[in-house]
Order: sequence, then C-alpha cells, then structure tokens
Amino acid sequence: MRERTKPRTDPIAEFFAELGRRGHEPLLAKAKGSARFDIAAGKRTERWRLTIDRGDLRVSRQNAGADCVLRVDRPTFERAVKGKLNLMAAALRGELTMVGDARLLVLLQRLFPRPSRRRR
Amino acid sequence: MNDGSVKILDGNTFVVSDARGDIEASLTDPTGLFSYDTRFLSKWVLTINGERMNPLSVDDLEYFESRFFLVPGTGTVYVDAKLSVIRRRAVGNGFHEDLTILNHADKAADLTVRLEAGCDFADLFEVKDALKKKGAYSTHVKNGKLVLAYARGTFARSTAISSSQRARVDKDGLTFKIRVGPHGKWRTQLAVVTEGLGAEESEREEPAKAQRRMRKGLERWIEQAPRLECDSEPLQATYRRSLVDLAALRFSPRIAGGRSLPAAGLPWFMTMFGRDSILTSLQALPFTSELAATTLRALGDWQGVGIDDFRDEDPGRILHEMRYGELTAFEERPHSPYYGSADATPLFVVLLDEYERWTGDRGLVRELEVEARAALNWIDEHADLQGTGYVWYERRNQKTGLENQCWKDSWDSISFRDGRIPGFPRATCELQGYAYDAKLRGARLARLVWKDPAFAERLEQDAAELKRRFNRDFWVEDGEYFALALDPDGAQVDALTSNNGHLLWSGIVDKSKAKTVAAHLLGPRLFSGWGVRTLAEGEGRYNPIGYHVGTIWPFDNSFVAWGLRRYGFKDEAAVIAAGILDAAEFFEGRLPEAFGGYDRSQTMYPVQYPTACSPQAWSTGAPLLFLRTMLGLEPQGENLVVDAALPSTIGHLELLDIPGRWGRVDAFGRGRVDVGRRA
Repeated sequence: MRERTKPRTDPIAEFFAELGRRGHEPLLAKAKGSARFDIAAGKRTERWRLTIDRGDLRVSRQNAGADCVLRVDRPTFERAVKGKLNLMAAALRGELTMVGDARLLVLLQRLFPRPSRRRR
Repeated sequence: MNDGSVKILDGNTFVVSDARGDIEASLTDPTGLFSYDTRFLSKWVLTINGERMNPLSVDDLEYFESRFFLVPGTGTVYVDAKLSVIRRRAVGNGFHEDLTILNHADKAADLTVRLEAGCDFADLFEVKDALKKKGAYSTHVKNGKLVLAYARGTFARSTAISSSQRARVDKDGLTFKIRVGPHGKWRTQLAVVTEGLGAEESEREEPAKAQRRMRKGLERWIEQAPRLECDSEPLQATYRRSLVDLAALRFSPRIAGGRSLPAAGLPWFMTMFGRDSILTSLQALPFTSELAATTLRALGDWQGVGIDDFRDEDPGRILHEMRYGELTAFEERPHSPYYGSADATPLFVVLLDEYERWTGDRGLVRELEVEARAALNWIDEHADLQGTGYVWYERRNQKTGLENQCWKDSWDSISFRDGRIPGFPRATCELQGYAYDAKLRGARLARLVWKDPAFAERLEQDAAELKRRFNRDFWVEDGEYFALALDPDGAQVDALTSNNGHLLWSGIVDKSKAKTVAAHLLGPRLFSGWGVRTLAEGEGRYNPIGYHVGTIWPFDNSFVAWGLRRYGFKDEAAVIAAGILDAAEFFEGRLPEAFGGYDRSQTMYPVQYPTACSPQAWSTGAPLLFLRTMLGLEPQGENLVVDAALPSTIGHLELLDIPGRWGRVDAFGRGRVDVGRRA
C-alpha cells in the first residue's frame, strides 16, 4: 500500500468523526472512562480524547488527563483505523505504548475494524 | 519435582533451574528465567575458585521461592565440605538471589566467586519449536550492572543484573574476589531484573514486598478454601497439593485489576487460555469462585468482535490463547490473541451459569449479558460451517492456526476406527454437548436475570432439536456409543473415545442410551484401572503413550465422572475417582497432564507421559472436581445438596466450610462403594 503524503481525506479524523456520529456503541456498554490518543506527526502531536459512559461516546480534541493514554505515530495509527493493524501485536512490538487503565484499553480495541474477511 | 528441575513462579514469570540452582539452557530446553513468554536468562552458573557446585539438598519453601544447599566440588569424589553455599531465590520482576558462603575452616579462605550470565531472549514458541532469532544482541556494563539486551526494530527486551556487593562486571558475568574469615560468612544479593514489557518501572514492587504479598496471598487462599478431613492421608496430601498448585498457577492479567484466573500450566502454558481457564474454574467452583469470576470477565473483555482470518476470530468467539513473545509481536504467530477454539465459546456460557448457581451473583450475569448473548449467537451464526445445525471447526489460518480446535488438539487425535483421519471441517461430538448445555443454561439465565423469556424459549427449542438430531446422527449403531465426530460428508468418525463421558456431563445423551455409554466408559477397552483412556484399546491409532490416542488425562476423567454422576451412575463415578486419586499418590499428589494408558495390572504404577506439563491447571483441578462428584455436591436453589457415594478405600470424609450462596456449609460421607478391579 503506497502512503500518500497529502491525503485528501484524513482517515484518522474520519475515524474519530464517525465515533462521534455513532454516539452509542453497544459493545462498550459496560465501559466507563476516558482515553486519550497522542498521535505523533513529525514534531507535532495530535490529541484526540474519547469519553465512554456506558457505551455513549464523546469525541473531543481536548488536551486533558485521561484514564488511559495510547501513544503512537501517525502512519501506524492510520493502519489501525483502516483495520490493518492489530493493536495488541503492535504494543508487543513497541510500535505503540499504552498506559493507564488496562481493561479500558482492551475494550477500546472493539472500536477498531478487523483486518481481514472470512475466506471459505 | 519429577524431572529433577526446580521451578519457582509468580504469574507468568518463572525460573527453571537444575538442583544446583544453575541454568544452562539450550535452544530446545525450557530452563531459564521466563517472563511474558520470553526467556530473560538462559545462562546462570555459579563457580567458586573455578569449581562448580554440588547439591546437598533443595528446599522448595513455597512455589515462589527455593533454597539450594551446596558445596563446591563435582561430587564424584568424597566432598570435604570446608565451605558451604546457600542460594535462596525468589521470583518477582525477574528474580532475586541471596548468595551466602560459609567458611567452616579455622583459616580464612580466599575465594573467586563467579556468576556466568547470558541470554538468548528466546520466545517460548522458539524453545518449543527450536526456531532461529532474527534480531540483534548486545551486552554492556553500566554502573556496575550487566545489561543483556535484544532488539528487533522497535521490539526491545533486556535483563539487568546487579549485586549488593561490589563485583567486577564483564560481559559474561560477575566476579567477586573475596576473603571469608575463619568460621566466617559472606553474603551478597543478586538482582536479575527483566525489562521491556510488563510492569512500568514505577509500578514495580520491592522484592521483599512482593514476597510478603505472595506468602500472604497463599495463606489466605488456603485459609479460605474448604477444609478436608478424612481417613485417607494420600487424599489429604493430594488436596493440599492441588490447592497450593492452583494458587501457584493463578495469573493476574493486567486487565483484571489484581484478581486472578488460572493459567494453563508450567512450563509452556503460563498464560490465559480460554478452554483451560474455563474448565479449571469449573472444577474449582465448590472451593473458590474467584477464579471463575475473573476468567469470565477477562475472556469477556477479549471476546472477538470482527472477522480476522489470521487469528481465526469471529464476533462472539471466546479466545483460545494469548501470548506476549516476539513471534506473536511480529505476527509470525497469531496469538494476540488467537481464537481458534470451538469449545471455549459454549463453555463460557456454561461457566457463567454454573457460577451463578454456586454464588447467586446475578450482578456478573447482568454485566456479561452482551458477551453471553454474543457467545450463544456465535454457536448458530459462525460455528455451523456446514449449515447442519452442529458446531464445526476448520481453521482459516492455514499456516499457523490450530487444526483441531477441541481439547484433543494434536494432529492425529480425531480418527476413524481403522485409523483414517477425516477431512475438514469436523464436528466433534463433545462440542455438540457443550452447545446443548450452553443453550439450556443460557435459557435459564435469560429467564432469571435478563428477563427475556422469548429468547429463553427459543434457546430451549433449539436445544431440544439439537439433542434429537444428535442422538440420531452421532449414535454408532453397531457399537452402541457416540461417534467421536462427523466428517465433512456427515459420516460418523466412529472411534470409541472418552468424549462419551463429556456427553454425559453436558446432558445431551438420551436416557435410554446412557447405560450402554456408561458401560463402555467402565469397560476394559476404555478403563485401564487407573482411569478412562482418551482412545479405546483396539482402535486403529490406539497407543498407550499417544498424546490424545490412548493416554489417560486426569482432567478428562474428572469430567467423565461428573457426567456419570449426572446420569445417576454414582458407583461408576466413584470407581473412576478412586482410580485417578490412587494414581495421584504415585505423583506425590500432583497429577500430571497425562499418563500412560497401560492396564493397571500390567504396570502397577501410572507411567507419566514424557513431555507432560506439570503442574498443569486442569490436572490440579481434577481432585477438586472428584471431591465434588464423590460427595454429590449440587446447588439447588439457595441450598447445597449433598449425596455422597465414596469409594470404600477412602473411609470417612468431611469437607468443611464449602462456600456459596448458602454461606458456608459442611458435607460428610463414608466410603461404601466397592471399587475392586473391574474385569
């Protein structure tokens, strides 16, 4: 997959916008807390903050404390939002770091698309 | 311990060494310091004036701590012990070792004490399969610390070795030039600390604090378990061993907030397993419900939500196995986590219901409603690969996925009488039993807790229909037992196996067929005198030391006995319990994963399967489930019913303070069942 330097649509912004539009995610019905995504793009860090209240999702660009923080660079996170990256494996490789509420981090994986289709 | 090695552990960190406390691992040999599936130390050899140690004795104080009493010299000639050496080792962030040297002579001793250290940073999978590394090693000495490191791209793991006494540190180890006075003593504390994964620096525990925590935890664990009083000393020893080993095998994934679930077994399986964690939690329910609650929560959190062929993930599927090593990190193995198990998902619902029956904790049933419904949905929507109303399996990850996604997961475990191996997909019989049981139990929870009677009714109808079909399609007419599986054409894979016992446990067997099934389980082809063989003698692939084709698995037998009991075969259940518990005596109360299927009259002792894991969680749980079965413990409403049928060899037995929704109650029984050898 060729990485475009200036994507016309930003898949990361689109990912968070979609979560905001979704409003409620039944798969996170028992989750409560906040997560911050610190996404490094060159020298800048983009921050997205997601709060989950019994499945209700709210997205902001607020740079505030959170129950868990995921740090990752932009190309890696782009792969994640496109369903081309397994977060757990990436964390084991050291490509992203996750700190804070470990259970919430596990549940957050439910928001990311899966990489492949069933072949049968 | 059976193979002469000494093992200590805390969660998924463990050390395996020889009786001297030394580690000299080869690539294929699971000795060393392991944490999160990575070896952090593969060489750790003590010499004094160039001489290796000779072991006098080993004291396995607790599962997390051991003490080695040593003298220098090889032991081939008479040892003149002017010096003695004590190594006291405890796990925690790696391990800590207290090294003490005592000089028994009237003269001072000038000594060169050397610890050679090295590490291959092997992934446990590499140790198991003897694979080569792809990254780069480095070693450096910094501030008196020896740091061994390995890196592959962003993947970095390291081991830091330091000492409380000044040492000369080089890239291969630590050297102490010391003088020990007459009748004097020298001591140093060595720390071997793992870095790169797991606890952050700030979250690390002081070693002394970690040991206090582990000791206290074990004391509380033993205290809170029911007390066993009985005439049979070996049974008491086995019970005590089981409790301690189960405590050792507890594993606290970081998502569980300090609570623990059972890992599968040492050395290969100190991790979260769907099937093993669920079945062990079921075995242990009458003794502790904590394992079940944590297992359900952790497996629920990791439940599959999408389609991922590499990981064999489907929505609603419960994971098979989680791993943290290099091969998983680089997706050379799918265990992040891997979902290729066809039984964990229905068993998840079975455990949730059984947990509620014992504890009355409806809160957890409510909390896991979404997951339990998704699991039930998986059975119908994702497991019925042939559209025939059965649970089938076929891996989508053809390279590193599991071929057999049932508990008998070795390549040749599923075969016809004549030894032929069927194609895929396969529908093994016990999976249908588990699915049936899951539907009925799901229906009970739907009515009781989720307040959805329509869903309950649908599940019950499905279950009844499944039972009807199953008793028709799997019943081997000319053998009068249930086929092991259906092949892709729907033909019966007709070998006679222990799986029949699991069918009794699930309740899917028609009453009219139960008697002949029980007769097979206790008959000479399946029952060896010690236990029920995985595969019956006389079948094409039968081999008394074949992993799933003739050996006897204590865990398997514990569920077989529970199944017999469910259909009212109390005496038969007691016979199996007696056989396995007799075998436990030969293993000092620690049942191995599996032992040979030789006839009891032929070998007189149970022959351990060569590379079996020990301790292994569901073997450790087997004596607990046998106690439940023999005492006939069954929650009924708010009460615990006791209906004992004990082997006469056990005599009087009391299990006191059994925890549950009733508070604590006692159960009593006296051995009356004659378990003399069956012809």
